[in-house]
Amino acid sequence: MYTASNLSLHIGKRPVLNDVSLMLEPGKFTAVVGANGAGKSTLLRLLANELKPTAGQVSINGKPIQSYAARELSKVRAVLPQHSQVPFAFSVEQIVRLGRHAHRTMSTVDDAIINDVMALAGVEDFRGRTYLTLSGGEKQRVQFARVLAQVWDETVYPRYILLDEPTASLDIAQQQHIFSVARQVRERNIGVLAIVHDLNQAVQFADHLYFLKGGKVVAAGEARDVFTKSNIEETFCCRVNLYHDPCNNCPYIIPERPSLHAHTHADFPLNGNSDFQNLKLV
Amino acid sequence: MNIALTLSRSRDAAIISVLGIVLMITFLFSLTVGAVSIPIGDVVIILLKRVGLMSSVEVNSMHDVVMNTIRLPRILLTLLIGGALGVSGAALQGLFRNPLVEPGIIGVSGGSASAVVLMIVFGGVVSLPTEGWAFDLLLPVVAFAGGVVATFLVLRLSSDAGRTNIAVLVLVGVAMNALCGALIGLSIFFADENQLRTFTFWTLGDLGGATWNKLIVAGPILIVAPVLLLFHTRALNAMALGEAEAYHMGVDVERTKLMVILLSALGVGVSVSMSGMIGFIGLVIPHLIRILFHPDNRLVLPASILGGALLLILADIVARTVVMPSELPIGVVTALIGAPFFMGLLLKAKKKNEL
Repeated sequence: MYTASNLSLHIGKRPVLNDVSLMLEPGKFTAVVGANGAGKSTLLRLLANELKPTAGQVSINGKPIQSYAARELSKVRAVLPQHSQVPFAFSVEQIVRLGRHAHRTMSTVDDAIINDVMALAGVEDFRGRTYLTLSGGEKQRVQFARVLAQVWDETVYPRYILLDEPTASLDIAQQQHIFSVARQVRERNIGVLAIVHDLNQAVQFADHLYFLKGGKVVAAGEARDVFTKSNIEETFCCRVNLYHDPCNNCPYIIPERPSLHAHTHADFPLNGNSDFQNLKLV
Repeated sequence: MNIALTLSRSRDAAIISVLGIVLMITFLFSLTVGAVSIPIGDVVIILLKRVGLMSSVEVNSMHDVVMNTIRLPRILLTLLIGGALGVSGAALQGLFRNPLVEPGIIGVSGGSASAVVLMIVFGGVVSLPTEGWAFDLLLPVVAFAGGVVATFLVLRLSSDAGRTNIAVLVLVGVAMNALCGALIGLSIFFADENQLRTFTFWTLGDLGGATWNKLIVAGPILIVAPVLLLFHTRALNAMALGEAEAYHMGVDVERTKLMVILLSALGVGVSVSMSGMIGFIGLVIPHLIRILFHPDNRLVLPASILGGALLLILADIVARTVVMPSELPIGVVTALIGAPFFMGLLLKAKKKNEL
C-alpha cells in the first residue's frame, strides 16, 4: 500500500496542498483529476519524495518514505514525467536500460526484462534508433518502457508507478495505448497512479478516482461511484452533462458551452445526485 | 538482441583498446622527436633502463640526458593533463546535461589561473615562496584552491534548495570568468618583466616547464581524479534524463554532483597549475567520442581520458617541432588541429540529423 496521510505543502504562506490523504492499492489504477493549478503535480512530487511536505506523511508498504535510501526507493516506485528531454544521442534501448540503474541484477535478467517491457510498450521495432529522432508519442512510450523496467522484477513486495499526465500532447491512439498498458501492468502486483487530464479517459481506465481542487480532495472513491455531474462541476467550475457510452459500458461527459453571461459560483446549481442521462449515440 | 548488447559492450572494449594502443605508439613516437632526435631503439632502451631492465646496455649519453631530464617528464605530464582535461569535460557535460559546458564555464580554469597569477605576482609580498621546490609544491595547491573556490561560488549562486539552475549557472560562469580576467589583469598591472612573461604562459598554455618534481606532485592527483570519475559513469547516464528523473531511478543526485564537480575541479585545477589554460580539449574530445561512437558515459569517460591524452601529445609534437628551436604555445596548436576536425564531424553529424 502506498499511502499519503494529511499531506500539506506551503510555499511561503500560500498553501499549495491542504490536508490531502490518498491511498494507492497494488493491482489498482488510481487516477487524480483536477483543474490546472489544483496541486496535482505537486501531490505527485510529494508522493515521489522529490519534495518534502510541510506536514503529513507518505509511506510505502508500511515504511515511511524518508527512511528509504534513494536506491531502495527506486526499486519500489518509478515515476514517468510529462516530458523528458535528453541532451545526448542515446539509443532507444540505452534509455530503457537506464531503468535498471539501481538494480544489481545479472545481465541475463536485465535483458529479459528489457525485452518484456519494450514489447509491452510497443517500442521494440525501433530499439536501435536514436531517441532524439523519435516523435513525441514514440518518446513517451520509450520513457514508459524505462519506467516499467525499473519495477518489473517479481518481488514479494508490491511496486508502484506514478505517471504525471503521461499522455499530454499525444494523439488519441497513443493515449489509449499508454493507458491500456498502464491497466495491464496491474496484474504484476503494481499499483498505478496517474494524473489524468481527460476526464472521460480517467473513468474509462481507473479503478479509483480522486478529485482535487485548490489543493484539497473534493471527492474520492470507486471511479464509477464518484464520477458524478456534481463532483465534476464542483471540481472544474464548469457545467457538464453526463451520458452513458454503451460501447465501453462507461459514463462520459460533455461540457456545456458557456453562455454569454458568465457563471459565478453563486448561480451554480449543484445537486448531489448523479443523474445519468442515457442518450442514444448517433 | 542479447548478442547485440554483448557486442556493443565488447565493441566499447575494442574502442578503448585501439585508442590505448594508438596512444602508446604516439607516446613512444613523441619521445623520439624534438630539437635532438632520438632513435626509437634508444627510446625503448632508456625506458626499460628506468624500470631496471637492460641496465648493461649503453646508449648515447646525450640522448639519455635529454630523455631523462627534459622529454620524459614533459610528455608524461602532457599525457596526464590531456587525460584529466578530456575526462573532466566529459563528466561536467554529462552532469550539467549540456554539451556546451567546458571546464572553463564553471569557473574552475579561471579561478585556478587567477589564483596562480596572484601568487606569482603578489606571493612574495606575503612571503610565500617565489621559486624552487617549495614553489613547485605550492603551485598546484593554490591552483586547486582557486579552482574549487570559483567553482563553488558559481554553483552556490546558481543553486536553489540544492537544485542547480543551468541557465543561471552559465550566466554566473560568465560573470565569474570576467571577475577572474579582471584579477589577472590587475596582477599584470603590478607585474614586472619577468612576471609578465609567466603571464603569457598562463593564458596560452605551456608544457615546457615540466620537471620530475612537478610530476611527482601533480602526477598522483592527475591519475586518481580521472580514475575516481570513472566510478560515476552510470549515475551520469541516469542524469542525462534530468536530476529528478535520476533521483527516481535511484541515483544519489547531490552526492554525484558534489563528487563530479570536486574531482573535475581537482583534475582541471592541477592541470592549469602545471601548464596554464589549455582550452578546447575538455569541450571537444567528449563530443568527438559521442559523434564517432555513442553517448553512453561508460564509453565516453574512459575514451575521453585516452582521446584527451592523444590530442594533447599530438599537439605538443607539433608545438615543439614546427618552429624549432622555439616553441608554439600549446593552446594555439590544440585549437588549430582540433577545430577544423571538429567542424567536419559536426557537419557530418548534422547531415545524419543526430545533433
